[in-house]
Amino acid sequence: MSWKTQANAIWRICYFYGFLALRRAPLLFIAIFLTPLSFLFFLYVVAPHSALPFGVVGGILFSALFTGNGMMNDCAYLRLERQLQQVFITSPLRPMSWVLGMALGELAWTIPALALFIFVLSLIVSLSPIAVLGLIGVVLLTWLLATSLGFLISTFFRQLREIWPIGTVVFTSLSVLPPIFYSLAAVPERVRWAAFLAPSTFASQLADRVAGLPVTAVPAIPALSSVPFEVIGMVALTILFTLMAMRLARWREP
Amino acid sequence: MEALVSRALSKTYRGSRGTVRALDAVDMSIAKGRLFAFLGRNGAGKTTFIKIATALLLPTSGTVELFGVDVVDHAREVREQIAIVPQEGKPFYHLTPREHIVEYLRVRGATGESAKNRAQEVLQGMGLVQYQDIPAMVLSGGLQQRTLVAMVLATEAPFLFLDEPTLGMDPFARRQVWEVIRRAARKGSTVLLTTHYLDEAEQLSEELSVIEGGHVLYQGTAEALKSKVHLEIRLQFEGGFTTQELASYGQVFTEHGRVTLLTTRGRVPELTQRALERKTAINVGPVTLEEAFLTLVGRTIEDEDAEAAP
Ligand SMILES: Nc1ncnc2c1ncn2[C@@H]1O[C@H](COP(=O)(O)OP(=O)(O)OP(=O)(O)O)[C@@H](O)[C@H]1O
Ligand SMILES: [Mg+2]
Repeated sequence: MSWKTQANAIWRICYFYGFLALRRAPLLFIAIFLTPLSFLFFLYVVAPHSALPFGVVGGILFSALFTGNGMMNDCAYLRLERQLQQVFITSPLRPMSWVLGMALGELAWTIPALALFIFVLSLIVSLSPIAVLGLIGVVLLTWLLATSLGFLISTFFRQLREIWPIGTVVFTSLSVLPPIFYSLAAVPERVRWAAFLAPSTFASQLADRVAGLPVTAVPAIPALSSVPFEVIGMVALTILFTLMAMRLARWREP
Repeated sequence: MEALVSRALSKTYRGSRGTVRALDAVDMSIAKGRLFAFLGRNGAGKTTFIKIATALLLPTSGTVELFGVDVVDHAREVREQIAIVPQEGKPFYHLTPREHIVEYLRVRGATGESAKNRAQEVLQGMGLVQYQDIPAMVLSGGLQQRTLVAMVLATEAPFLFLDEPTLGMDPFARRQVWEVIRRAARKGSTVLLTTHYLDEAEQLSEELSVIEGGHVLYQGTAEALKSKVHLEIRLQFEGGFTTQELASYGQVFTEHGRVTLLTTRGRVPELTQRALERKTAINVGPVTLEEAFLTLVGRTIEDEDAEAAP
């Protein structure tokens, strides 16, 4: 199959798994907003209002990161419960095209939530079109990183029951613990570097910058909080996870 | 020309609960364009074989070639030639039967127009027209299975692997599926199907193989299998005979309280005579594939039990 046909196939998967599902399952549509919106509401009630923009940026990144959780669950479900991955890869479709189609489908689900949070952000800080493009760039990198990780994890499961605790541990520690919904300034100076153990911190720092929010330095290791390092770190981590997903994915049971 | 050839194919599953030898030096060949049935008891190794042949599972040793291409080394080339209905696969929740077929064909490279036309044909053939726009989540189990089978048969891929395709389907639906499978074979697809409905295998297949405990016991036609067991006649007795006194005539078993004997043509006159003397009604007919299967596999199990006993 030519590249053009593969690209078309990827788009079809995104269409029927992402857009069609979104249209037919309105309840899930609400579920996507629910967690980040509740965090935001919580922040609004308990935190000073200067913390709010960090929370809104957090909502954007949370949505992007949770495509990874969706990817992990959906890929495991379609392989183990429905055996549809097997139906799709025993065909001229390349296995990687299947993964990319699914990942785009996950992104499609998230578009409404992303649009809402970006809109809310534009109401409370002034966002230039360039800033919006920058945010979209960070979102796309985050999505690629998260869905690669989600897919990679999904391939190791032999049973669906094992999955939800792992998903909760991995994606909560990526999206709730690190400074996603709050500013890095809230982390004590001495251990601030530790936040960069989570790949999502890179995304968060970059997104805060793009949105024009004050970015906190890391006194112990100043280089950590610099634009080149954040960009390189983010891109490198994304490439790393994507390559790992491509190399380690198990298309054939051993 | 052979569409599939396996040589000394073996698979051992290793797990925490020990090892299972699922396939043991399986040699099999399927001619191009053939409708081939793969029979065997639960756990015999059928699904394992299909998974290896479709590049979904690695063998422990041995080889499988599809259209002359090695499945282990050239998975990509092999995948382009095949389509599979996995055992106990299920369709997507939210898509309708029509969308399943159209989208699957398009993902496999068909144009929108040809996918739509083909979908219409297959929906018709599979009796799915009245359900074509209903999301699979609200379809009954058998209709969901039909949807999955329809999307795979619609491909008319050069090699179709169907692992228990008619599971849970009513007798009408099964016959519709048979017809669609036959049509695919007429157009040149090679078909390998597993089934536990022996009447289905008899109706549908041109050739079959029987596997037990990872060994191929038989490969050939259904007719030849029936003659291989040497017991070509089935006699059913409406009482009057005990299983013990019939044992020397062939294979005896009790079914629905009736004694059934599988025997050779030569013994029939004598048995009819004895039945008439005892004023017992008997029912005479040819052995079915199911009975031949029971006899063939039954003997193997008895031999194994005998070996295991001392
Ligand atoms: N993933 C696995 N791990 C360990 N053992 C397995 C695995 N899959 C199958 N087996 C074992 O391998 C043997 C063959 O199984 P297989 O699924 O191929 O049988 P089958 O002929 O398809 O049976 P059925 O008619 O029930 O579908 C069985 O003993 C089974 O328990
Ligand atoms: Mg099976």
